[in-house]
Amino acid sequence: MTAASDVAGIMHSDGDGPSIQQALWDAGLDEDIRVEIQTVVSDSAARMQTTQSALEAGRAPPDIHMMDSGWTVPFILRNQTVNLTEQLPDETLQYVNDNYLEASLETARAPQGGDLHALPLFPDLGFTLYRQDLIEDAGYDTGGWATDPPRWEEFSAAIRDARDQAGLDYGFTTQAAAYEGLSCCTFNEVMTSWGGAYYGGADNLFTAGDRPITVDDQRVIDAIRMMRSFIAGEEEHTLDGYPQICPSAIVQWTEQQSLNPFAGGEAVSNRNWSYAIAETGTEDAFGEDLGVMTRPYAVSQQEAQYSDVGGTAVALGGWNLAVSPFSNREEEALQVLEAFANREVMLTVFRLGGFLPPNLDLVGDVDPSDVGPVARYADVVQSASENAIPRPATDLWPEQSALIYQAVNAAYRGVQSPEAAMNDLANELEQSEAEV
Amino acid sequence: MTTETDDGTGIDTDPVPDGGTVTGGEPGPSHEHERTGNAAVNWMESLSEAAYAYLLLLPAFALLTLIAFYPMIRTFVMSLRANQTRGLDPLGGFVGIENYIDILTGNARLARQFLDVGLTSSFPFIELGTPLFQQALFVTLAFAVISVVVETVIGFGQAYVLDQEFTGRRWVRVAIILPWAVPIVIQGMIFFLLFQPTVGFGSDLMQSLGIFSATPLANSRDAFIIILVADIWKSSAFMALLILAGLQSVDRSLYDVARVAGASPWQRFKLITLPLVMPALLVAMLFRTMDAMRVYGLIESTAGCTTVPSLSCLVVEAMFGGTRIYATAAAVAFATALVIGLIIGVYVLLFRDTDGGMY
Repeated sequence: MTAASDVAGIMHSDGDGPSIQQALWDAGLDEDIRVEIQTVVSDSAARMQTTQSALEAGRAPPDIHMMDSGWTVPFILRNQTVNLTEQLPDETLQYVNDNYLEASLETARAPQGGDLHALPLFPDLGFTLYRQDLIEDAGYDTGGWATDPPRWEEFSAAIRDARDQAGLDYGFTTQAAAYEGLSCCTFNEVMTSWGGAYYGGADNLFTAGDRPITVDDQRVIDAIRMMRSFIAGEEEHTLDGYPQICPSAIVQWTEQQSLNPFAGGEAVSNRNWSYAIAETGTEDAFGEDLGVMTRPYAVSQQEAQYSDVGGTAVALGGWNLAVSPFSNREEEALQVLEAFANREVMLTVFRLGGFLPPNLDLVGDVDPSDVGPVARYADVVQSASENAIPRPATDLWPEQSALIYQAVNAAYRGVQSPEAAMNDLANELEQSEAEV
Repeated sequence: MTTETDDGTGIDTDPVPDGGTVTGGEPGPSHEHERTGNAAVNWMESLSEAAYAYLLLLPAFALLTLIAFYPMIRTFVMSLRANQTRGLDPLGGFVGIENYIDILTGNARLARQFLDVGLTSSFPFIELGTPLFQQALFVTLAFAVISVVVETVIGFGQAYVLDQEFTGRRWVRVAIILPWAVPIVIQGMIFFLLFQPTVGFGSDLMQSLGIFSATPLANSRDAFIIILVADIWKSSAFMALLILAGLQSVDRSLYDVARVAGASPWQRFKLITLPLVMPALLVAMLFRTMDAMRVYGLIESTAGCTTVPSLSCLVVEAMFGGTRIYATAAAVAFATALVIGLIIGVYVLLFRDTDGGMY
């Protein structure tokens, strides 16, 4: 199977040490089956290209492809994955459907018919990390934030005050460069927390073609205006009541660049993935001073117009395993997938690599000293899983994603008004949807 | 190839006892065979210089046809079919030049367009669909023209310096050539980090001078300038090297004669150096133009293809962007090849009469 060095490094171990391979064997995988990893780069876009090359050419091995939850569906729609609903034992399917994070499963199912075509290996969720110590010093009570995040107004005021009082360079750092991470995740979260949606609510995420396009909705525009306020303070196209808390450089920042100032103690808060918790939550970093929550919000779920939006929101990332239809060892590959759907295997992957188990109930089952700081925030992870919002990953998503992140980035930078940017975007998305 | 064989056979049956005189004394079964071989040699020797040159070039052309023209024709055929984002078959039915119309009118299924201008009834009769710096054709042409002109001028200056005798010349040579040794990705990272506000001083400096916005790597115009400067910084050394080779082949005694005749330094440059260096200069410019027209790696490692879309960027994005639009990708690739071909054509036409005969 394909994997980046992070997973490749824990697949096998020297001697008797714990490894994923050992866990798979313990879970009942035939001892004759050994999983060989074809190591690929960690960059998701580059990995998609590798997968695409192999599958378009009908080439195997790799017999199992590790696919980003953001681009599994296009491969399913091109008949380049094995239908697991038809091939896996009922017992395994039952376990997966009953226990796995539903939002992750949605990214691995065929949009028509709902058959499962890939097995989630681990989900990833976007968290808001903050310096509890600094915010408390500025006179705010963060006691309930973990599972009951504040509204954006309170959050931004707290960040501003904490930054000013501690004399830091930055308040809140996030990702807003023109790249997939903006459309799939950070903007998706902000928009959802405002009760907005790309395609009229969470029901229409995976069915391209006949669905409403709602990016020019007032909620979405307000979400952009708030981000403009965070970046520019009181300026054109901003929103009253939201102070400047983000450096303007966020419009060219991705994950690592936004994490660096926070990890270096120069920022109060950062939006990032679970690895950032592992990195900044250790005792020699911020330890217990690190607060973790899901996104603040502006419009509650009850006030929202569409289904399953509004309230706090968490973008969904993560990776799925799909079996290549061109494999000569399909039988064996399916056995490997079956073994992955096992409690002990998931916990081994979590312990060794820090990757969240697709069955998130297991997070609380481990000792924080075993897996690092993430386990300390088990309740936040649980609440995140309940508020996870997947990107609308259809076969058209990569094309639409590029249109979205360009428009949002332009509006964030102020080169286009939010209204104009979203109106143009709505037209472009309409054209794209018409291609179905 | 066919003509060649026909000719060979013709000579073989020719009654003229040309080869026969040499091998005639040796009877035996190999006689016929050797006669044929000699006939071929003689035929080749009877060819004109030009025809002989073409004959020797044939294998290379055959190879080129196989690895360059065949894929191009395939690309063209693909570009005439429809996109198909679902199902196993990557391409749909025949749609003629529809994909080309789409990319030339700014309606391609791409985040950045190849060309996006519309016609209007009032002056200046064209309007931009998107800003110029976000249209791949304009970006690439502007990049090629500006970078090649500036690199040629700077490269000429550097070559002139390198051609002089002075103490410390070795160190200056190293300093001038050093950027050329930097790999593209490292070069890109240097400029990327220079304009990261938390790392480099570039953003603050350029912003305080009022030249750049606060986030130059996200701004198409600023990022274009950054990439231009990055390329000039590196590739001027390449121009300097090639021009230096030309300079060093100039016969020094010509300058002595010119001096005796009372020519000014400018006259010496214009009448001796420039014409003699011209062939080398043109080859260098042609190479740089082709390189500049396919710029990709530098952009990808600095500001990214979204901010500064080049033609190669579009091909890569269309091909590997995730949504399967292979027909559009093929159309963009073929159009890119055409544009580059046209520009090379301009070089060949403009300079075919140049002294020294480039071609």
